[in-house]
Amino acid sequence: MNVFDVQASLRALLPAERFLVFEELRTEVAAGGVKALQVVLPALPRKIGREQLPPELALEGDVSVDLGAWRACDAAALELLHVAQAGDDALRELYAHGDIEERAMVLRSLACRPVSAGTVALLGEVQRTNVQSHFEAAICDSNLVARSLGRAGFAQADLDRLVLKAAFLGIELVRLFDVHRHANPELSRMLQDLATEREAAGRAVWRDTARLIARAPTAGTLARLVGGLEHGDDGTRLAAAEGLDALLSRDRSQRDELHLYLRERLPREPRAEIRAALERALAR
Amino acid sequence: MRIFEPHIHMFSRVTDDYERMALAGVRAVLEPAFWLGQNRTTVGTFVDYFDTLIGWERFRAQQFGIHHFCTMALNPREANDDRVNQAVIEVLPRYLEKDGVLGVGEIGLDDQTKKEEHYFLAQLALAKKHDLPVLVHTPHRDKKKGFQRCIDLIRDAAFPYERVLLDHGNEETIKITRELGCVSGFSIYPFTKMDTNRMVAIVKEYGVERMVINSAADWGVSDPLMVPKTMVKLEQAGLRPALIEQLVWGNPVAFFSQGGRLDVARLEQPANIDRRQTFEGNSVLRGQDPDA
Ligand SMILES: [Zn+2]
Repeated sequence: MNVFDVQASLRALLPAERFLVFEELRTEVAAGGVKALQVVLPALPRKIGREQLPPELALEGDVSVDLGAWRACDAAALELLHVAQAGDDALRELYAHGDIEERAMVLRSLACRPVSAGTVALLGEVQRTNVQSHFEAAICDSNLVARSLGRAGFAQADLDRLVLKAAFLGIELVRLFDVHRHANPELSRMLQDLATEREAAGRAVWRDTARLIARAPTAGTLARLVGGLEHGDDGTRLAAAEGLDALLSRDRSQRDELHLYLRERLPREPRAEIRAALERALAR
Repeated sequence: MRIFEPHIHMFSRVTDDYERMALAGVRAVLEPAFWLGQNRTTVGTFVDYFDTLIGWERFRAQQFGIHHFCTMALNPREANDDRVNQAVIEVLPRYLEKDGVLGVGEIGLDDQTKKEEHYFLAQLALAKKHDLPVLVHTPHRDKKKGFQRCIDLIRDAAFPYERVLLDHGNEETIKITRELGCVSGFSIYPFTKMDTNRMVAIVKEYGVERMVINSAADWGVSDPLMVPKTMVKLEQAGLRPALIEQLVWGNPVAFFSQGGRLDVARLEQPANIDRRQTFEGNSVLRGQDPDA
């Protein structure tokens, strides 16, 4: 799988002498395989650097990845894993005995590799991690989660639990590429329960809740969406308006009732972007 | 003034300690691998401990802006335990290549047995091979003799003195070490062993060249703020700020830089958790239109 040209990206990003270091390491790992990589990997952030790659959506086959989330060392690690011919066992071993940076690099590489049993195992690891940077490295800024759905050991319930954890951590839905396509009533129930719990505690609710539950309504969804139109937080109101628009685009059975609330809110809505979303929903 | 705390076992401390240390100026800590209060029975528990030091513990420190480094070793006490000693030596090389591992330690002598000497020498050889300095634990009992024995072993191994930090020193040991060219470490404890007033007296007599101070805080009665507390005493005793800074920052940074892995420029900023910065979503590309 060749999602992006690491060598070209690093050549463009790095000063010449550091790119030379990368080429030397690449040669070393090509000769020494995974054993050599065990020694080379921990030094990559220091030797290759942590500069971000420019934002660019890399698309190849069924893979999409936002390279702007990648650092120079992440890209180098992807290439070195490739030349070391690191398989599932090597990947899991490097993760298990890696330091905090090594683990992040291994996890980020998953987005550009074919989904395998090792991918599923590492998704299980990050579901249980408390290190948010590791969760994000695996879950965010690519379509890995959606792409893994249906593999042995990664069913809808597993995807739902990852999304719930993202909601728990306040990670934006747009960073979980394609996940919204897999909205389902059980996930909606989980998200609504989390929202209710947060509200009872006087804490902020994940703004993207409305965007997901609107795609797979369950008991309480309509009231939460309509209530969101009156929320004091702009982001929450926008999500509610967009959620209602999405809901009406696929199910018009309660169109008249919902339009009543949308029309009631529209003249009092101060934000242009939200007014536009309300008007789109009213046009359904 | 920034502080590099060169010997502390955060594994056995709570997050409040990290917070108080950060507020007191601690920018970086060095955590030597050590004995956990009771012996381990299999090498697997060492491996898990080493993985914690380079992973979870580093994450905990970063949450408070503190850079976390460590040294790796088979400690002198468990060097006596045949269930684990040789097996730990065999897993060490991989950990000695980790980027945040700045030395081999704590090695040295505790009960001053033959086995301790054997594994001390084996780990001096590893330090040479991996181009790292060593952090040497010296015995708390029969200290002067044990101290001298450590030095004899280092000399016989032809290990360079400037790459040796002889820790847990006192008024007696400084007389031995000051001429050797190695770094002298002083562990300041709240009630026992070395205390702040004695430390002030040592600095007044010997200066701060090739000297570091630490709290050696662990799961026992100890105080992770001993370095900042000693700094206050030193200032009150009239020591110039530049010399205090050399003692708590310049000296430990210089010592642990010798392996070539300590990126001093990164210490200029507090540690941060390496997460993607997002500002209202505008640095994030969408996989596609969410409403598609
Ligand atoms: Zn110690």
